[in-house]
Amino acid sequence: MTVTSYTERPGHKIDEADGLSVPWSRPSPKRKGVSARAVSVVTILVVLALWALSARLQLVSPVFLPSPVAVWNKFVLVARDGFVDATLLQHAVASLGRVFAALVAAIVVGVPVGLAIGISTIGRGIFDPLLEFLRPIPPLAYLPLVIIWFGIGEPSKILVITISMLAPVALSTASGVRGVSQERINAARSLGATQRQVVRHVILPSALPSILTGLRIALGAGWSTLVAAELVAATRGLGFMIQSAAQFLVTDVVVMGILVIAAIAFVLEFTLRRIECVLVPWAGRE
Amino acid sequence: MPHLVLDPHLVLDKVSIHYDGQAEPAVELVSIDVAKGDFVVLVGRSGCGKTSLLNVAAGLVAPARGRASINGQPIAGPGSDRAVVFQNDALFPWLTARENVAFALRLRGIRPAERARRADELLELVKLTDAGDKRIWELSGGMRQRVGLARALAAEPEFLLLDEPLGALDALTRERMQTTLLDLWTASDVGVLMVTHGIEEALVLATRIVVLAPGPGRVVRSFEPGFSRRYAAGEAIRTIKADPAFAAARGELTDAIFEGEAA
Repeated sequence: MTVTSYTERPGHKIDEADGLSVPWSRPSPKRKGVSARAVSVVTILVVLALWALSARLQLVSPVFLPSPVAVWNKFVLVARDGFVDATLLQHAVASLGRVFAALVAAIVVGVPVGLAIGISTIGRGIFDPLLEFLRPIPPLAYLPLVIIWFGIGEPSKILVITISMLAPVALSTASGVRGVSQERINAARSLGATQRQVVRHVILPSALPSILTGLRIALGAGWSTLVAAELVAATRGLGFMIQSAAQFLVTDVVVMGILVIAAIAFVLEFTLRRIECVLVPWAGRE
Repeated sequence: MPHLVLDPHLVLDKVSIHYDGQAEPAVELVSIDVAKGDFVVLVGRSGCGKTSLLNVAAGLVAPARGRASINGQPIAGPGSDRAVVFQNDALFPWLTARENVAFALRLRGIRPAERARRADELLELVKLTDAGDKRIWELSGGMRQRVGLARALAAEPEFLLLDEPLGALDALTRERMQTTLLDLWTASDVGVLMVTHGIEEALVLATRIVVLAPGPGRVVRSFEPGFSRRYAAGEAIRTIKADPAFAAARGELTDAIFEGEAA
């Protein structure tokens, strides 16, 4: 089947996790002791050092650039005592809750839509233009309309995140469905499968690797929509926390919030890759 | 031609196949009759419509003219009375070997314990006794075709349709699979319609060889080599292949396939 994953999978690497290597150039024999990972670690340390140094020398006012230590202390403080009536954990849980509620909604709507696009001409005719219309709109653009229509409550926030997730889920599902080998479908039919059984027992499992890739992309998209969704009338959430900290120029909380959002995104991505390895171990092996 | 259901046949009667957007028909007026217990092999150069004819028998392609029928009933679509084994095994990688074999039984709603038992019997039949729990990608090409064969047999078909099932295998594995096929065919009363490129393979397996020529696909010769009957009667496959009659038949068949082609 066609490989639809957007990035290489763990366990099936082209070579070491080296973003620069291109498939048509043989990786040059590695110099002793130098790996991409080591270079990455050094890069991060250098950035941290530059940050610490410029804060230390007061190149920029601490109001604009707090030192790494200040940010860390703030992290510990907010984790323990909270910021704007909620601890860091409560903010994070509120945000994660919204994103996962949106993910469930996006799966419930997006996977059947993707199936319809992939299987039937009529389905493609109906949903393709709608998705292509929706896909490139930035969430901040439709946020006001969603608020006008659905108010400023929790459903609006979840809806905005859901919309941003819908296209990746549906389009990945559709591309997975279109990639199902005809021979596999024919084999199932000649073994007595009805149309419905072909969808359930052949098309869905065949498309699963692609669907999971779509979920991974969707989770990324949803997580980046979060701050926009929490701009309005939220009382909790990481986006809200950053927003209110910015209003009072509490820059260390802003920086800390950004880093926490990045860290959570990293963990989500990593977890989903693990889930892919467990659920679709056959992906990339055909 | 009336057919008695008591004497089951898979019949292609004056079948023509015409694909959309092509000026020439792919196949014209081909008639093939496979009785239960027959092993009919289609051979011919590329483009003679062998696989198209097999797909008509499978119900995956509708003939432009002519009739395809099984036991007197017109073929309207695929069905488990005619299980197909494809060249690329078309196995389901999300299932284990055993679950692949049990697929047809699962479609029929047979209970898990029962279908596992039946699948294990079939795996034993194709000499893959210990491979039930293996994932598809852990199996070699030959093993995968054995799983494909067992999966088709699980549907308890009256006819087996084999579309170059051994085409992608190396020569040694291929020879072993030929004996497996013959053993299965001998032990059952299934009728087989097979497409192959292998001339020796056709001679070893077939009770009847139908030679097709391209442009448009049509039948040019029909042989009844009888070597597979000798195998069924207990003669060893090496002895059969060493028989001068086998070499003579191979020459005759090769001539028939390349007849009319500029040398």
